[in-house]
Amino acid sequence: MTDTRPGAQEAADNLTGTPKELVVEGLQVRYGGVQAVHGTSFTVAPGEAVGIIGANGAGKTSTLKAVLGLVGRSAGKLAYGEADLLRTRASGVVRLGIGYVPEGRHVFPGLSVEKNLLLGAYARKWDAATRGQVDEVYELFPVLGDMRSRLAGALSGGQQQMLAMGRALMSRPSLIVCDEPSMGLSPILVEDILGALQRLHKAGLSVLLVEQNARLCFEAVTRCLVMEHGHVVKTGPVEELKTDPDVRRIYLGI
Amino acid sequence: MRKLSFGGAAVLAAVVALSLPYVLNGYLIYVVDIAIIFMLLALGLCLSLGIAGQINLGQIAFFGVAAYASGILTTQVGMGFWPAAVLAVLAAALAGLLVGIPALRVQSHYLGIVTLGLSLAFTALVGNLSIAGAAEGLLGLPVPSFPGVDLSSHFLYYYLELAVLVVVAPFAYFVVFTRFGRRLRAMRDDNLAAASTGVEVPLARMSSFALAGFFGGVAGVLYAGLVRYVSPPSFNTDTMFLLLAMVIIGGRFSLTGVLVGVVTLTVVREVLVDYSTYAQLVYGALIVLMVVFAPTGLAGAPRRLKDLLHRGTREAAGGTQPFVPSGTPNGSSARTGRPALEVDGLSKRFRGVQALDQVTLTVEEGEIRGIVGPNGSGKTTLFNTVSGLYTANAGAVRLFGRDVTNAKPYDLSHLGVARTFQNLRLFGRLSVRDNILVGLDRTRMRWAWRYVAWPIGVLRSERELRLGAREILAQYGLTAVADAVPGELPYGTQRRVEIARAMASSPRLLLLDEPAAGLNAQETQQLAEIVRDVRSRGTTVILIEHNMGLVMSLCDRVTVLANGVVIADDVPEVVANSPRVIEAYLGGGDEVAAPDPVTTTEQEGAR
Amino acid sequence: MQDFLQTAIGGLSIGSIYALVAMGFSIVYRTMGLVNFAHGGVVMVGAYIASTFFLTVSLPFVLAMVVAVVLTAAIGLVIEGVLRPLETKDVDLMLIGTIGFGIVLQALVIIIWGATGRAVPTPVFRQPVTIAGIVVRPYDLVIIAVAGIAAAAMWHFLRATKPGAAMQAVAMDPDAATAVGIRVGRSNAIAFGIGAGLAALAGGLAGPVLYVSPSLGGVIGIKGFAAAILGGFGNVPGAILGGLLFGLVDAFSASWFHGFADVVVYLVFAIIVVVRPEGIFGEQTVSRA
Repeated sequence: MTDTRPGAQEAADNLTGTPKELVVEGLQVRYGGVQAVHGTSFTVAPGEAVGIIGANGAGKTSTLKAVLGLVGRSAGKLAYGEADLLRTRASGVVRLGIGYVPEGRHVFPGLSVEKNLLLGAYARKWDAATRGQVDEVYELFPVLGDMRSRLAGALSGGQQQMLAMGRALMSRPSLIVCDEPSMGLSPILVEDILGALQRLHKAGLSVLLVEQNARLCFEAVTRCLVMEHGHVVKTGPVEELKTDPDVRRIYLGI
Repeated sequence: MRKLSFGGAAVLAAVVALSLPYVLNGYLIYVVDIAIIFMLLALGLCLSLGIAGQINLGQIAFFGVAAYASGILTTQVGMGFWPAAVLAVLAAALAGLLVGIPALRVQSHYLGIVTLGLSLAFTALVGNLSIAGAAEGLLGLPVPSFPGVDLSSHFLYYYLELAVLVVVAPFAYFVVFTRFGRRLRAMRDDNLAAASTGVEVPLARMSSFALAGFFGGVAGVLYAGLVRYVSPPSFNTDTMFLLLAMVIIGGRFSLTGVLVGVVTLTVVREVLVDYSTYAQLVYGALIVLMVVFAPTGLAGAPRRLKDLLHRGTREAAGGTQPFVPSGTPNGSSARTGRPALEVDGLSKRFRGVQALDQVTLTVEEGEIRGIVGPNGSGKTTLFNTVSGLYTANAGAVRLFGRDVTNAKPYDLSHLGVARTFQNLRLFGRLSVRDNILVGLDRTRMRWAWRYVAWPIGVLRSERELRLGAREILAQYGLTAVADAVPGELPYGTQRRVEIARAMASSPRLLLLDEPAAGLNAQETQQLAEIVRDVRSRGTTVILIEHNMGLVMSLCDRVTVLANGVVIADDVPEVVANSPRVIEAYLGGGDEVAAPDPVTTTEQEGAR
Repeated sequence: MQDFLQTAIGGLSIGSIYALVAMGFSIVYRTMGLVNFAHGGVVMVGAYIASTFFLTVSLPFVLAMVVAVVLTAAIGLVIEGVLRPLETKDVDLMLIGTIGFGIVLQALVIIIWGATGRAVPTPVFRQPVTIAGIVVRPYDLVIIAVAGIAAAAMWHFLRATKPGAAMQAVAMDPDAATAVGIRVGRSNAIAFGIGAGLAALAGGLAGPVLYVSPSLGGVIGIKGFAAAILGGFGNVPGAILGGLLFGLVDAFSASWFHGFADVVVYLVFAIIVVVRPEGIFGEQTVSRA
């Protein structure tokens, strides 16, 4: 970690809720006639950081979107703590404590940074406490604090990534679901994002991270799933996967 | 047996049609006369709206142009009915072309509002011009002269209209079911894919409006001769919306459908003739109901019923046969050493993102080249820029030595470039066979003069096209699904159709964008077979892929992009072991200085 | 000079009505990407309801307006609800669906109120006033004032309230909006209701100035639409500016071109749409996933 500000860790502590267990069993996703995910199963224990890696088209993003209810899915079981995710509409997922940082950031480009963050707390009242939380996000990502009235569309990729994360944190999630945060970013910015994730994990947040860049994923999580063609082909602790020849094959074809 | 019953039905229809004036009274025959005029209008609207996908709210203005032209030329200039009629129809077609010009720049709701605005301008104009009779209009238009026949009789006028309908309506069918109509439908279903398959979209749009104008013009002339007066209220938005209702309710994608729609609404209005406002309520409500529940209208009902009844057994449509290689064994003899594609310092920027940064690469004739790279590295942007969908900010592209930088996609298609798309762009309402027929059609738009001057030539070439399609269907194992619509087919089959369509144009350069996405292992094998066969017949292939196993085994050379920059360009084994490449994918080791932060996906700047 | 100013004030007054109509169009387009061809019909219904409650039921004008706005907003919700399945599927079809609704509304109006229109007396301050040598109808100033308040309220709603921010978020990125807990369908319904309410306000205010008839919807609808495009479709300040500009164009065309005013207006508008479809401020498009 390059950033060792104590205030940042405290902010992270304040932005997280109490995590529960995410259980996914037999998840199937199908769209446009393609079976994108073939019956995957995994869990994220409270406070655990789990990653999903694999080549493009492996079904990683589809898996995330399916858990969040953003695409049609069927599953044997899909639950977060006591809540049955299969019976929760997509806009209700955030109220269960699951925050989403989408692939490609997807900030609201025509709204200011501050407005973007406030919208992250849409499911809650916009009162003084919420506005105080915005400050916590600025503590975690000082760069955003300098740009609070700028339009989100004018920010650079890395800044937008931080904004997307901050927005997800505004709902005081207990599980953060992050889709390819490193995409298109330079290594330095990626380090910053990683640092934030590690801090959040330390504060007790469960993390479910999808990454195409395996190395980055390994640095942020403790356990990883490897997906290929819609199936989970391997799973295990990061130390084992780092030296696994299959992982190399999937990525480089040899 | 079927031919006999079709002939029988035709004879029956002819008998009924010819005997109507003997069966109906004077009032009803007049209703029929008006209905036939609406049929002609509906055909014109169908051609532009349903077949070509252009929101045309100006159809009644074309009607009005011809009616007023006829009125002015006969009453104010002293021309005879028939010469005036010819000029009036020409005027209407010209009006169509003029209204079609906005269609080159705007589509959808903008086009709707422009066409509506222009038609309102027309009624406002004739409502104020004294030569057009201003607010009262023109009265006392002459009866069309015909030797020995008094066409002031509505009964006899019916036969005139019938004769016109019998000549003009089949022309509409002729256009729709041959190559010109197919191209219009392709453009409607996916104008990007149509352009990439050689359809000159701007000309196609203008022609569809000209056709709409022509049909509106014929209707207008007949109207002037029947009613023998013209005034602004006849050509207002109420009439336009009634016509629209007829087309939507009947089914805008089907010529027969819109004719049915005309008949249906004419009947409804006659039944409710004393409650005309209730009739309006009915057809307004019908539009809403149709749009939500039955978007294909009455014409689409039989098919939907069939689908409903056969819901369980639809999977059977997936029966495809294996690909049949063309039998040229030695692949690498196709490699001549001459460059097929040269990309020279190509750069493309979207809103602050440098998607392509001085990309330079050369692909040899007969080569199979792989383009790989992490998500967001610029691969599809490269394809889109080379194939004319984006304009480059800097750099050059040469195709077989010829500079094609920023050429239009349809020009590139005619120069021998074909492509498939990452997200599959098949013509959704066209059958598999029709999709391939569009690919086979290598003519330019100017070929279409034959429709008017040499229709036999159109029919003959149509037969040739179909023979060619049969061959391609057989080769790609698609014969069993030839009449299916893409949406009914499994994903892997749809992919194959897209490749077959691309290959139907006999391209010299084939660009495949993630052809293996969503395919299972067996289908991927087939894909590799197809690509090798395509190359053995002399086509150069460039493919974007993430399936590294496929790339490494299939490609002669591999180019790696990361952040819009070429970071490797060599044979597969070398590329796979390059530390830069490994780092770009797997990450590893110390940081290599990377380009400036870029935001995300190519889709953002695609417009 | 006086004539010029007088025409200008008349233009601003009718322009305020166009601005209200344009705002209604824009809010629906901005949030749903839908061009609502029934909007003119909704304006007309608003005019009829307001004038009925004002004339027949003898409610005070303001109350009659409130009733009209509420009832018409409900109609807007019905339209959105019926056409909702098409929102993500086929927008051209949805457009045609709104044309259908427009036809239905006009037919209903004729059935309920008859085909002949009605004149609505000015509700307040009937006597024209002379200010600095210019004869001004006070009601014109009332229109401008009300429209101004409505515009300010709209601006505040979008900028400073949670539902307003949510509506903008939905327009920019429906998936991300869903992920933060916004219910896209409900937000769109509210947008439609607001759009219809603005239309009713325009119609109610227009009653005393224009003749309330079944063809009112067509004329105001087209011109309001044109104003919205002129200002930049989806852009609320643009809608206001476009409306006022269009009102001025209308007023001055009428005094210069007389009968041909409409021809000029429609032609100019058609040319603008082709040459610069984004309008003055640029279109605020909706991302349709």
